[in-house]
Amino acid sequence: MLSNALEALKTYDWGTDRAVLAPIDEAVISTHDDEVSRRELEASLAAVLATPVSRDAKDYVCRKLMVIGTAASVPALALLLPEEEHSHMARFALARIPAPEAAAAMRDALASLDGELKVGVISSLGARGDEASVPALAALLASGDQQIARSAALALGDIRNAAAAQALAAAKPADPAVMRAVVDGRLACAERLLDSGDKSAAMAIYKPMLGADQPKQVRLAATRGMLACAGQKE
Amino acid sequence: MSFRSQQTRRKFLKTAVAVAAAPYVITSNALGQGDVPPASDRIVMGGIGIGNQGSSDQGAFLGRPDVQYVAVSDVRESVRKAAKERADQHYKNSDCQTYGDFREILARDDIDAVHIATPDHWHAIMVIEACRHGKDVYCQKPETLTLREGPLMIDAARRYARVVSGGSQRVQEDYKELVARCWGGELGAIKSINVNVGPLSQLCNLPAETTPPDIDWEMWLGPAAWAPYNAARCSGSFATDGGSWRSYVDYSGGGMTDWGAHHFGGATFAIDVRELQPVEIEYHNDPEGKHLTYKYANGVLLHHNRPKTENLVVEGTPGEKRPAKPAPTYKGEGGIYGDFINCVKTREKPFRDIELAVNTVAVSHLGTIAYQLQRSLKWDQAAQEFPGDEEANRFLDRARRQPWQL
Repeated sequence: MLSNALEALKTYDWGTDRAVLAPIDEAVISTHDDEVSRRELEASLAAVLATPVSRDAKDYVCRKLMVIGTAASVPALALLLPEEEHSHMARFALARIPAPEAAAAMRDALASLDGELKVGVISSLGARGDEASVPALAALLASGDQQIARSAALALGDIRNAAAAQALAAAKPADPAVMRAVVDGRLACAERLLDSGDKSAAMAIYKPMLGADQPKQVRLAATRGMLACAGQKE
Repeated sequence: MSFRSQQTRRKFLKTAVAVAAAPYVITSNALGQGDVPPASDRIVMGGIGIGNQGSSDQGAFLGRPDVQYVAVSDVRESVRKAAKERADQHYKNSDCQTYGDFREILARDDIDAVHIATPDHWHAIMVIEACRHGKDVYCQKPETLTLREGPLMIDAARRYARVVSGGSQRVQEDYKELVARCWGGELGAIKSINVNVGPLSQLCNLPAETTPPDIDWEMWLGPAAWAPYNAARCSGSFATDGGSWRSYVDYSGGGMTDWGAHHFGGATFAIDVRELQPVEIEYHNDPEGKHLTYKYANGVLLHHNRPKTENLVVEGTPGEKRPAKPAPTYKGEGGIYGDFINCVKTREKPFRDIELAVNTVAVSHLGTIAYQLQRSLKWDQAAQEFPGDEEANRFLDRARRQPWQL
């Protein structure tokens, strides 16, 4: 019974019987063509996130909301983003919920989060290819927190649109790990530019990377990219 | 939602390949800097994840006269110590360095290549970061944990012109006879092949146990969801029934990816679709059981767990023999390890080039998603998505625990 399984979440924890949650697993799948039932299930699960259940129980709920969550679940998930124990699993759901509200919730959280929780949100926005995040991520390239600056660079490389390319081009980090991420992001942007046929813009990224001061693998990447530019059909 | 399309990469790679084979075989020497040793010199290597399968890989590389093995990284102190002693005994010195954090190995400029045999949830992060640091990589199978990871690993390998080999030796060594029959034309046009493999991995809620001082538990978990230590959760044994990390969804795809890397790898090699990914996955729930039929764009079928069908049974057209074609094989001596080392020297693509390895594990992942959703799926290899299938596309990737990022 689904209601029993939802009730069982109150006592579910590491080491308890996993089988009691099977009706929820089944309902997640069986409601594929039953929108009303699925939305009821979503509401029931999202409500659990505000209750004092175990970390494992909330993790489980987030896993299910990853599959069936909509904008309706976003507020409950967003409340978990600042919580050390739950931030990752909140992103586990938010990162895969297609509703734009999910991305917006993570963007909004950027301003108030710090340290590794902020890095997590940055990485999820990048993986999502969230173009609306570019201004915020661009500003974070200059963060004094090396992990945040590096993460922002990698996320911009994931998004790789013109604005991301511009932000990465302007970055001059002193930290080698951040610089490596900036270079990687710029190379990803160059590949996107090549794909769109903008060879001159791609060449402008590749050419300075041939310098003797660049690591071997970067010069190889630039050489390879320039050869690809030369072979691109008009 | 603007989940990033992979079309950029595909188009770029096609363009790069069209230019010439040259971009892949460029070495530092070609750039006028002699910082890559000539082919006769030793390849300086380190190992990441040295327990169980990693230990076997370490032994294989240590045994090669063209390799100098100088560093190991593992989250278990006892494993690091044993691996160092092994290397030091081999070279009769004390040079092998140990690290609890793999990033310290990648930061060493003197290391040319690394082998990786961690649990699967670490593979993509490590392979991509190794490429960013200019290392060539031998990565154990299954190379990916999610579909999104594969193209990003290929991107990194191609972007930095790295040699990145997957790790299934069985693809070449266990299915020779079948490959010879298929590629030799004896079976005529191939219609289908069947693979029996499993099970899928499961969610793990094993109870907390006292964390031994020997292991860095946070580092073992890495990008996976936090969970309390439990010996079975992180056991490196090959069990897929609950006795090892290979049983659990946060770290592995279960037997479907673990043995799937071998069987699907051998099957797709035999029927010559290893450069492709399926375009359709048909889900069947018969009285005889649940099973799949993968369809490739060229019309060839790959069955999974087809009822009453033996593993790797091929359906051909025996009355219509085809001309034989030469089957790819290892380059160099020494099996899959020799193939990798040879390619590190020559800058050729290895037999289990990362793109082929990714295609193999994609078969496992696609099938897993079909079983999870209990329905048929369509797949667009170029776009790397389930077209128009918002629900299935949610399974392409999963958020990584902070601070880990691809």
